[in-house]
Amino acid sequence: MALDTGTGLALIGAGVAIGVAGLGAGIAQGQIGAAAVGATAEDPKMFVRSMIFTVLPETIVILGFVVAFFLYGLA
Amino acid sequence: MLKPEEMTRALVIGSIDSLDATIECLYEQGVLHLIDFTTPDEEFKLGQPLAKASADSQKLLKLRSMMRTLGIDEHRPKDKLMVSAINVRLEQALVTLDLNTTSKTEAKQKIQALIREKEAEIRALDPFKNFGLAIEDFVDYDSISSFIGICRHDPSEALAEKIKEIEIFKEVRKADVAVAVFVKNDIKPETLRILSEHDFQEVKLPKLEGDPKKVISTNQGQVRDLQADLQRIEADIEKIRKQFADFIVSSEEHLSIEVMKEETPLKIATTENSFVIDGWVPKSRFREIQRTLNARCGLLVFVEAIAAEKEDEPPTRLKNSKIVKPFELFINMGSTPKYEEIDPTVMLFITFPLFFGFMIGDLGFGMGLFLVGLVVRLKMKGSPVLKNFGTIVMAGGLIASIFGLFVYAEAFGIPFHPPPLSDEASWESIGYIPIHPMIEKMNDVNELLALSMLAGWVHLTVGLVFGFFNNRPHSLKHAIGKIGWVLMLFGLFEETMVIAGDATFTSKFINSTVFFAFPVDFSMGLAGIQLSIPALVFIVSGVFTLLVTEGAFALTEVTGIFTNLISYARLAAIAVGKGGMALAFNTMLFPMIFNAWDSAGAIAISILGAILLVVAQLFFVFFLGALSAGIQAIRLNYVEFFLKFFEGGGTEFSPLSYERKYSVATK
Repeated sequence: MALDTGTGLALIGAGVAIGVAGLGAGIAQGQIGAAAVGATAEDPKMFVRSMIFTVLPETIVILGFVVAFFLYGLA
Repeated sequence: MLKPEEMTRALVIGSIDSLDATIECLYEQGVLHLIDFTTPDEEFKLGQPLAKASADSQKLLKLRSMMRTLGIDEHRPKDKLMVSAINVRLEQALVTLDLNTTSKTEAKQKIQALIREKEAEIRALDPFKNFGLAIEDFVDYDSISSFIGICRHDPSEALAEKIKEIEIFKEVRKADVAVAVFVKNDIKPETLRILSEHDFQEVKLPKLEGDPKKVISTNQGQVRDLQADLQRIEADIEKIRKQFADFIVSSEEHLSIEVMKEETPLKIATTENSFVIDGWVPKSRFREIQRTLNARCGLLVFVEAIAAEKEDEPPTRLKNSKIVKPFELFINMGSTPKYEEIDPTVMLFITFPLFFGFMIGDLGFGMGLFLVGLVVRLKMKGSPVLKNFGTIVMAGGLIASIFGLFVYAEAFGIPFHPPPLSDEASWESIGYIPIHPMIEKMNDVNELLALSMLAGWVHLTVGLVFGFFNNRPHSLKHAIGKIGWVLMLFGLFEETMVIAGDATFTSKFINSTVFFAFPVDFSMGLAGIQLSIPALVFIVSGVFTLLVTEGAFALTEVTGIFTNLISYARLAAIAVGKGGMALAFNTMLFPMIFNAWDSAGAIAISILGAILLVVAQLFFVFFLGALSAGIQAIRLNYVEFFLKFFEGGGTEFSPLSYERKYSVATK
């Protein structure tokens, strides 16, 4: 199907929004995750607290998702 | 259901003569959570262990050391032993065991040490046995120095080239070269330099004499003899192990219990003639403990309930019905709720299987998970944690099957009927199933997203309401702050529903019911987004409430509630992602399986395709899908839900009690 340039740019924007947000969250989560696994290995009761710390960066992806969603709506 | 078991503070006071009977009785009842007495003063002192404590703990120590030396720490007796039988045999058995095991294990250790020594000698001499030198020749002389060792590369050429007066013995082996080099004292540094260029490592030879070959063969003979001895001793130990293992483990358990009871007075306040046991008892069982103690000890013991003081922190014993109880596993993985806190187990019981089922949503995989859960539950009787885990998987599998059957109408990633405008494979090729999907997993993504938002709104609102009740007793201000969050969430949810508009059935339904008072067209456009004015009013009033109750700092968390709500989009994302993965494997491999079947080769390809499909579906969709759905379902509870109200840090109710696995109490 043929797309006009504006739509194409909006769709690329949506992709960038969620892609880069995911990348950022991944980098952050990787480091926190490693520390969290260590903490949980020391004390299994830390599991829930570790999990809460680990998922903190996910906020970034969620906001990225919202931006992507709106851009997708514009396209 | 939502509150832990109600506790009463109980004081057990009695004459010191009846202390042991009281302790025995309390342990049998298993309902008193002891508050340790830690502040002795002029009147009250810490109690003394009961008379038998010291003798019993010595015996216990002996038994435990024997368990280690005999290697039966992990032994699990099949039959339970009567306590009376243990008591009759214990003294004599300890003497017999002591006589047999101690000497045997000592001998075993000595022999093992000797074997190690002999083997080390063999290892050291072996590289140099073919040099034709006696062991005593490998030494430094008055004017000549020796280098005995192993090089990684052959150094002889380099040495012969640089140094004239030198004698080199070498043997090239698989990975290295054994060398013995003799040079005059004055060229010692030069030799060492060349040798170290070839990664020379010195070997210290044992202080022995004679031909290395002979010494090695003598040593080998000795090692053989020693090993035979060792085998004999081990056979003897094995005999003892077989004969006594059950008895030792059972008596260890019995004595541990005895010592635990006998040392309990160390945590109790006593005076010269009396004792005071202070603790928490479930309110429902207070009468029972009173009656039993009075029946057992008569007038010598008195039990009284005292009013709890404000700063008291009673222990928490979660109180849930039998079907909800397995879900306490999720609470135990984190922190115990405080006594006054709401116990969220029942919410986990509802939301975990629901979220999980929504994400998996497949009749075939759901039934598979149900079976896996059932097997875990039946096989893991010994471990309560795994048993509960099995039950939870069963619940998740069941709800996933229901979603798969009625909502998505699909099994093993294959829909009952081909989706509109698609020639996708479906179960129609095998038989017609008269159930049509309410939601097409792969096509109605918006519907799934709207449903996720609805789930998020309900879940978070319940969390905030819990937070209100948790905070109310000690701070009305914080409690009202939670109402601020509820208002904001309500506004945000309305906004998402307004944006969805008539695009999904869910939003249409919500807009005409929950939000019927705020028509969708009551809105304004802003940067291409349709903003609902009532939603804005709710959000602003929520922010205002928050500002008044929690202070300006709380405003930094306002975006948090927004991301919390959107976070539930993962429910839709995983459902679609998992469905898409199953579809992808089916689309790729079905043509391979259902080929012409006109030759042996084609049939072989068909079988290969079927195997590939089963492996891919099993691993990627069934296993990884269940794992990610499980993690996300529990994460939504731990992170989004719990943080709205849960504090934790309570003390778990652990009454004076014991459990006998390998012994039976006798009167």
